[in-house]
Amino acid sequence: MSVIAPNFKFSEFVKSILDNAFWILLIFVLIGLPAVQVILFYIEMPVINGELLTPFLALTWLADPSRTLPILKAFMTTDLFKIVAFPGFGFAALIAAGTIFVERKMLAKLQLRVGPFYCGKFEGILQLMGDGLKLISKEIIIPAKADKPIFWAAPVIFVATAAAFVALIPVAPGWVVADIDVGLLAVFAIIGFFPIITILSAWSSNSKFPFIGGIRALHQMVSFEIPMILSLLGVVILTGTLNLSEIVESQTNFPWIIFLPIGAIIFFITILAELERIPFDLPEAESEIVAGWLTEFSGMIYGLVQLATYLKLYAFAALFVVLFLGGWTGPMIWPPFPEEIINEGIVMGPITAKIPGLPIFSQEMLNGVLWFVIKTVGVIFFILLPRGVFPRIRIDMLLSLGWYKLIGLAFVYIFIALGLLYAGVLGPGGIL
Amino acid sequence: MVGELAGNYSTVVLMFGFAVVAMAPALLISRMISPRKKSNPVKFLPMECGQVPSGEGRTHFMMQYYAYILMFVVFDVMAIFLYAWGSALLELPKSATLPIIGFLAIMFAAMAFALYQSGKRTIW
Repeated sequence: MSVIAPNFKFSEFVKSILDNAFWILLIFVLIGLPAVQVILFYIEMPVINGELLTPFLALTWLADPSRTLPILKAFMTTDLFKIVAFPGFGFAALIAAGTIFVERKMLAKLQLRVGPFYCGKFEGILQLMGDGLKLISKEIIIPAKADKPIFWAAPVIFVATAAAFVALIPVAPGWVVADIDVGLLAVFAIIGFFPIITILSAWSSNSKFPFIGGIRALHQMVSFEIPMILSLLGVVILTGTLNLSEIVESQTNFPWIIFLPIGAIIFFITILAELERIPFDLPEAESEIVAGWLTEFSGMIYGLVQLATYLKLYAFAALFVVLFLGGWTGPMIWPPFPEEIINEGIVMGPITAKIPGLPIFSQEMLNGVLWFVIKTVGVIFFILLPRGVFPRIRIDMLLSLGWYKLIGLAFVYIFIALGLLYAGVLGPGGIL
Repeated sequence: MVGELAGNYSTVVLMFGFAVVAMAPALLISRMISPRKKSNPVKFLPMECGQVPSGEGRTHFMMQYYAYILMFVVFDVMAIFLYAWGSALLELPKSATLPIIGFLAIMFAAMAFALYQSGKRTIW
């Protein structure tokens, strides 16, 4: 008979609980209370219903529900909310998680398999959670003679860099974490970090397969960075701005993919290469070099790298949507918020609940997010699809594709964009 | 002015910092709850498909790519320079486009020649 805890003693159990309570209390007193003081002094609090929000007033929403929504709305305009939840990390991580599941299911269907099936009642829908729990409870093995600080830091920095990329993507009008004038250049700057992280982690692991994978990632970046940068030049020429939100606003009548299909195709191919996806997954070619630069990663380190990869996938798909498919623009299909709830409140029999502060989100914002998500999911689908269809290409084919074909095509494409501008078709004073 | 300009980027840095703060605990928790079995010398060897690793892990590796790296250094900068022109194009007079077309012609002709040379394996 197996016992869960053979050396269990009740007195030890009580003692451990009291010990933990003591330490938590001590840390709270020594760190938490000074931190609260610092926050009260230095953080600017919003003004709600004409009075400055103090912590006391913030807690009165428990007793006064009419205060809840204004406090919530004031919170949603802060940078903190944008970074943590909506256009930032939470939203992107949600889409990334959905992408992982959909990819596994879709590839399985393409290859006449079943895919994740048992975890969760319906079609293995909890598989991702199970995988996460498994990864977090696995031992992290670091190879001997590895460069430990870099090896530990690389996955975290990879996630953080992908998150910084996500920060630049505008999701709905005004809903962007960092609205920078030179957003597109910032995107290029951040993209340039990924191969450096790859090759750092590969070099630090002191193993041959990761090293070969890291060098391959570097070469892939070198081959595809220039076509990628040139493929977006046409959009910048026609809009005259580098701000991503303004680029989206320039596409209210038509998306750029109608006039610049060559640029869109080049950009899509380079996306596949930058994301290291089939047919360009040479850095982690699992049938040639074990798992490429991921070979020595185990446990949660591997989990973080997976998360970052899919955050990056979302960010690139969203960038494609922003630049070529018109971002959040689209016909208004979201129903308007019912007027009588704003004016009269919700009537339930004898009770009338009047809720101030509704609606929380404007109709334009919800509609924009809906269109953005629809388009992004479509692009993600097309990024996932080649994995079930194509084989991997050789590294010399990749090189000749990047250097000889795509750059030549991008050169032609710049002149198409210039021709559209100077022929008076597009741009200011154009016929469209 | 400068501070204002830099302030625009602070949210990117904050996002970076948030991801570090949110994700580093995953590694710490994993480190706390995962089993750590007694080590044996084989366990921490680098992966070489079950063989005992031979030689150094950080080897020198000939990738025959030097010509392309050199070209990348030159033409990546060129591509970014084109953005400075492209974003200001609508405000420029039309005659200002001709020098840029000359620049493009020189750069792409040079690139074509460099690609032709680097394609010849015998000289590398």
